[in-house]
Amino acid sequence: MAATTTDTGREPGVSGGADRSGGPRRREMSETTLGKVFVAPAILLMALVALFPILYAMVLSLQAYTGRQNQGWAGLDNYVEALTNDRFWTALQFTIVFTVTSVAAEFLIGLGFALLMNQAFRGRGVTRASILVPWVIPTVIAAQMWFFMFNVTPGFINNVFGLGDFSWLGQSGWASFAVIFADVWKTAPFVALLLLAGLQTIPGDVYEGARVDGAGMFQRFWYITLPLLKPAILVALLFRTVEALRVYDLPQVMTGGAFNTESLSILVQQYVVRTPDPGLGSALSTITFIFILGVGMVFVRFLGKELVIGEEGR
Amino acid sequence: MSQPGTPPTQTAAAQRESREGPPKKKGSDQGVVEQRSAAQIWGKSALLLVILLWCLFPFFWLIMTSLKRGDRALNSPDLFQGPFGLQNYEAVFQQDFLLNLRNSLAVAGMTTILCVVIGSFAAYALARLPLKRKILLLSGVLAVSLFPPVALVPPLYELWRTLGLLNTWEGLYIPYTSFTLPLTIFILTTFFASIPKDLEEAARVDGASPFKAFYRVIFPLAAPGVFAAAIIIFVAAWNEFLLASTFAPRNAEVAQTVPVAIAAFTGAVEFQRPIGTITAACVVVTIPMIIVALLFQKRIVSGLTAGSVKG
Repeated sequence: MAATTTDTGREPGVSGGADRSGGPRRREMSETTLGKVFVAPAILLMALVALFPILYAMVLSLQAYTGRQNQGWAGLDNYVEALTNDRFWTALQFTIVFTVTSVAAEFLIGLGFALLMNQAFRGRGVTRASILVPWVIPTVIAAQMWFFMFNVTPGFINNVFGLGDFSWLGQSGWASFAVIFADVWKTAPFVALLLLAGLQTIPGDVYEGARVDGAGMFQRFWYITLPLLKPAILVALLFRTVEALRVYDLPQVMTGGAFNTESLSILVQQYVVRTPDPGLGSALSTITFIFILGVGMVFVRFLGKELVIGEEGR
Repeated sequence: MSQPGTPPTQTAAAQRESREGPPKKKGSDQGVVEQRSAAQIWGKSALLLVILLWCLFPFFWLIMTSLKRGDRALNSPDLFQGPFGLQNYEAVFQQDFLLNLRNSLAVAGMTTILCVVIGSFAAYALARLPLKRKILLLSGVLAVSLFPPVALVPPLYELWRTLGLLNTWEGLYIPYTSFTLPLTIFILTTFFASIPKDLEEAARVDGASPFKAFYRVIFPLAAPGVFAAAIIIFVAAWNEFLLASTFAPRNAEVAQTVPVAIAAFTGAVEFQRPIGTITAACVVVTIPMIIVALLFQKRIVSGLTAGSVKG
């Protein structure tokens, strides 16, 4: 950007006399103004619909409500109520377990897929096309699909594995497993896609050199692939983690939050729609917001500036 | 200031290279190695089959189930046990599903238009124009992309209730737009930055104003990128469930979208989801999406890897 301005600014200035130097300067001015004008609508909209509601939620969270009737200021009562509520801690626990296991599984499976697709060349195009299918299927549809597959009768999975009438979605533990499995199915191919893009930026000569030096397959993976793939891995992990912490669709449709599969997002939504309490709901949403943004920020801090720049570039 | 601009160009170039250059090179050098064992090639291709099955089999199950007729067939988990028929599809369209499709199209369409217009202006400014505090701006955009949408649910619900925006299209596409903007900006900034600067400078030397240079030279050249971004935005808005089920939970006449309808399908018997109707509705919604995904596969992949966010 700085390069653009100096380039366009200087050239006519050098070729023209003092008379013309006013032109480029005016043009430069208008470029800066244009930049602001171009960015303004996006910033305004994001501020109005993302930032302002967050602040409004913080105000709401400090107020007492009976039903939807405002009863005045409540101080931190809503927060105390939220943090002493067992339901909150159960939801937090499920959300964390869901995030850690699903992101880990997606990463491992996605990496496996990506390595395979990077290697094989027969049928690579078809595979890459088919990998978009789970991504494009709406999560609600994936949830309904896996609900029926994990169903007791007629349970496709029970039938294939001869499990009789095993109740996947009807007991805690296995219900979480089913939800996590559905998420891994939908998202592992997507992670593979991101990692594959990273893998393809590694030049083949590097491997060739290592091979000549006698590095085995495992050594090549450990000393070349992994370090060079690190930026792609970190970005994929950041966005997957933040996404997984927000999980709503899958448990909502598959179990309705029963059997300890209520996520933080479901919990907040319940306090807005089912048992309306804007105060408590806002307190819970503010806690969720701080928690998720905090995790995201830890990642960003960890990645440093590389993320903003790399993110823009990737 | 030049920092945020240069790396994208490099990475974009690397990306382009990766799409065309290295795979060929890699392919040929692997070819030399792997000529020794044709079995290895087949082994690896067989492993690709695992990926194919993983991605496609559940969808195949969905189609087969939706085609089954009658309760008995639905109660049998055997995929190939008939009788088959289109009965379930007829049932879907007796349930206001066309209205749901209309709502989803309107909401996702408006989101896409707004995002592309607002996002491409912002992305052009970030990629090309002199702006102060560019890093700060980008960090802000990144922070918004980390926002959990659920944090908006209580305050926006109260606001929309006051403003009468519950159960309206606007109540949905306004928040969708602001949530999809970060992704749009990331994708489009990458694409704009990968367009050679000379073209623009040539236009400027010929006397075009900055704005003219943008919409006469850059915008047409960025069209493939804009198109990729548009598809990704559309898919994200089409699939959204949390805000849709909170702000427009019922009534297909007004604003209930497809995912909400699919989640809410109820059968004649309580507590039993009508598997045939649901799977048929799922197929109806998914097939056009899959066709679009396959047609524009390359563009979507490059867009997704540019934004690295799931839709």
